[in-house]
Amino acid sequence: MIAYIVRRLLSTVPVMFIVAVCVFLLLHLAPGDPAAIMAGDNATPQNIAQIRQKLGLDEPLWRQFGTWMFSLASGDLGESMFWRTSVTTLIGQRAEPTISLAITTIIFAVVIAITLGVVAAWKAGTGIDRFVMGFAVMGFSVPVFVVGYLLIYCFAIWLRWLPVQGYTPIEEGLGPWLRNLVLPTITLGLVYVALIARITRATMLDVLAEDYMRTARAKGVATAPMLLKHALKNAAVPIVTVIGIGVALLIGGVVITETVFNIPGIGRLVVDAIQRRDYPIIQGVIMVFSGIYVLVNLLVDLSYTFFDPRIRY
Amino acid sequence: MKTTRRSVLTNTAAAAAIIGAPAIAKGQVRRGEQRTIRAVMHGDIPTFDPIWTTANMSAYHGGMVYDTLFGIDADSSVKPQMVGKYDVSADQLTYTMELRDGLKWHDGTAVTARDCVASLRRWSARDGAGQILMSRAKDLVAKDEKTIVLTMKERWGLVLDSLAKTATPVCFMMREKEAMTDPMQKIDTVVGSGPFTLNMAETKPGSQYVYDKNPNYVPRSDAASGIAGGKIVKVDRVIYQVMPDSQTAVAALQTGEIDFLELVPIDLVGQLQSDKNVKLEMLNVLGQVGLIRVNYLHPPFNNVKARQAMLYLINQENHMKATFADAKYYRQCGSLFTCGTAMENDANTDWFKGKPNYAKAKQLFAEAGYKGEEVTLLQATNIDYMRNSADILAQELRQAGVNVKVIPMDWSGVVTRRAVKTPPDQGGWNIFLTSAGGPAVGHPIALGAHAASGDKGWFGWPADAKHEELRNAWALATTIEERKKIAVEMQANAWNFVPHVYFGQWTQPAAMRTNITNMLRMAEMVPWWNVEKV
Repeated sequence: MIAYIVRRLLSTVPVMFIVAVCVFLLLHLAPGDPAAIMAGDNATPQNIAQIRQKLGLDEPLWRQFGTWMFSLASGDLGESMFWRTSVTTLIGQRAEPTISLAITTIIFAVVIAITLGVVAAWKAGTGIDRFVMGFAVMGFSVPVFVVGYLLIYCFAIWLRWLPVQGYTPIEEGLGPWLRNLVLPTITLGLVYVALIARITRATMLDVLAEDYMRTARAKGVATAPMLLKHALKNAAVPIVTVIGIGVALLIGGVVITETVFNIPGIGRLVVDAIQRRDYPIIQGVIMVFSGIYVLVNLLVDLSYTFFDPRIRY
Repeated sequence: MKTTRRSVLTNTAAAAAIIGAPAIAKGQVRRGEQRTIRAVMHGDIPTFDPIWTTANMSAYHGGMVYDTLFGIDADSSVKPQMVGKYDVSADQLTYTMELRDGLKWHDGTAVTARDCVASLRRWSARDGAGQILMSRAKDLVAKDEKTIVLTMKERWGLVLDSLAKTATPVCFMMREKEAMTDPMQKIDTVVGSGPFTLNMAETKPGSQYVYDKNPNYVPRSDAASGIAGGKIVKVDRVIYQVMPDSQTAVAALQTGEIDFLELVPIDLVGQLQSDKNVKLEMLNVLGQVGLIRVNYLHPPFNNVKARQAMLYLINQENHMKATFADAKYYRQCGSLFTCGTAMENDANTDWFKGKPNYAKAKQLFAEAGYKGEEVTLLQATNIDYMRNSADILAQELRQAGVNVKVIPMDWSGVVTRRAVKTPPDQGGWNIFLTSAGGPAVGHPIALGAHAASGDKGWFGWPADAKHEELRNAWALATTIEERKKIAVEMQANAWNFVPHVYFGQWTQPAAMRTNITNMLRMAEMVPWWNVEKV
């Protein structure tokens, strides 16, 4: 197992290198010049040229890439062109809201989706099943921002139960922290609820049709233990895989959700950076997200051994 | 341990207390909210150095923490600000400015004339008007701790106007230590002498900027007006919250999570008009002016006939209606200088008075030798009015027989590409759209786009010697009547060689909670002194 983990971790190095090359080239070949943006609307071409020189943007691309790779290898993500602050510090400042939102979303999505999926499979073909699947289709179809605005209108403007926007750090209290996260979590989580619920239902239906499930029922095993202990555990591998894939989707969704709910997280940081062409921030955030994704995939693979002891590495 | 109903209730109460305690404490802190204003401005602050950039948000930040030697009042008159007494010699060559008593930097040290001289030098290296001023200056010295003496080689009528102007970069005063920084290098230390201090500990770049009342600020005794007069701060704190989504900002204003929204998108005005806790005010009556810049370096717009053709095909009403819908918020303007400013006039505007004349435009393009070559129009798709107007302009050009190619990109892409001087098919361009503040467009010197100095000028690089002579004469004029006369001449000439074309002038209301009172009306700046939260 340890040898497998080490092998997997080592295999991330070339993956991350390819990500780094792609990110760097895509950014630098896309139209947009941070110097022109920094200089402002009234700047003359001379002003812009001076700023380009200061930022080292007038150097050949291969040299800029080499400089970046060299600092990346030593764990330095670089410095924001606009804020003259290290990218690591900026990501650190913005990490808490994003991590909070990601955790609450995953918990919300997993709990609700698995419950719905199991119930839908158990009551397959009934009104409950059709309702759950209808809900899943809606979750897939309605864009994140539409859900966000509808929830804001309903729960913030109309009922005044929850705030429209913002983020309260957890050290200021669990209550205020949660109050700010309820609407963004539901908004972001809905699509994952839909995705995981559908997969759970489909996998559960397969498992429930197995002979050993019929045997369990014949032996008089109660419904709840039968569904949760016997069926769900055997259906877990594909569900966990989908949850892992969902983390990648979550990263994309975070960007929109943080904008709609004005959460000062990494998503907002990267959107602002894209608009300003602040290359070091964009590159740094993408590298961090890629690293997280690789790590999540590794954890998902390792979790298979827990759910299915036949799997060995 | 046995679970009883009593133990469950006790544990639940304890858990609620733990969860609720910080919220209760926070509720107590939030009483201070009564004297805190949370404002959503039009964007993020790109840098804390308002001299280094022309970005308006940096100037807003500058207006909070820094002060100026002179200020502009609501009637656009120049008034002394940090300066107490000042004297202009009879030959108008020597300006002696004495600082007011008691001015202090936020670090507690006294503001000296030496600080101001260094600040003036750094500002003049970055600002267009400052560069002209310094090119005409013989000497700029600190005569003593409080007296600045500026001696000119030749008379220039815009010395005080330049020091007071709100067009960016504004002439803010900084400590000598910071002001000695290379003008091409950004300053990150924020120590001013203005009515607010930047609370760095609570500021989160890109998210929120916290400004606390400066208890040591010495305001003037005269009434506040524009960015002149007594800057008396009546709140403890102003927080600029960065909120990129207008819909969210409007909702936050309705629920009282924010107190002020600088620019309300016109399509959301109705939503706020029906809210009794919110009021709309027009703080910036001159608003913005939409500019269509054409590239003088390449065909067809290197030919004056093609540029004149542009005058005949623009229908400002269509452009404005597409984005701003309600005529209350826009106007059509044929003047080279912002309508509503002193320089507005109607010289040589016959082309503007009738309906668009596509036949005439087509004829002028033909006279320019245009034979259907591709004309590249850059379209910024992430800014509503630019996207809409580019679509309309493309259609107008097509109606005049122009083979237009619209290139969609974000504004950052336009900003980069407009600096490219190569032909359009090699990465250059023919037309792009932008906008500028009403006061700047109303001022022949303040707006870089008003220059027609060719290669050294602003993007589009128009060149016209007569226009530059007239700008120079305008700057030398000492009375408003003289300036108005020159402005008429300048416009008559400009609409012959056509430096650019306008697609309309518009304003957007600001929205605030009804308990926010006494906001000062000012273009290009939102002053937070004098304002009360009742």
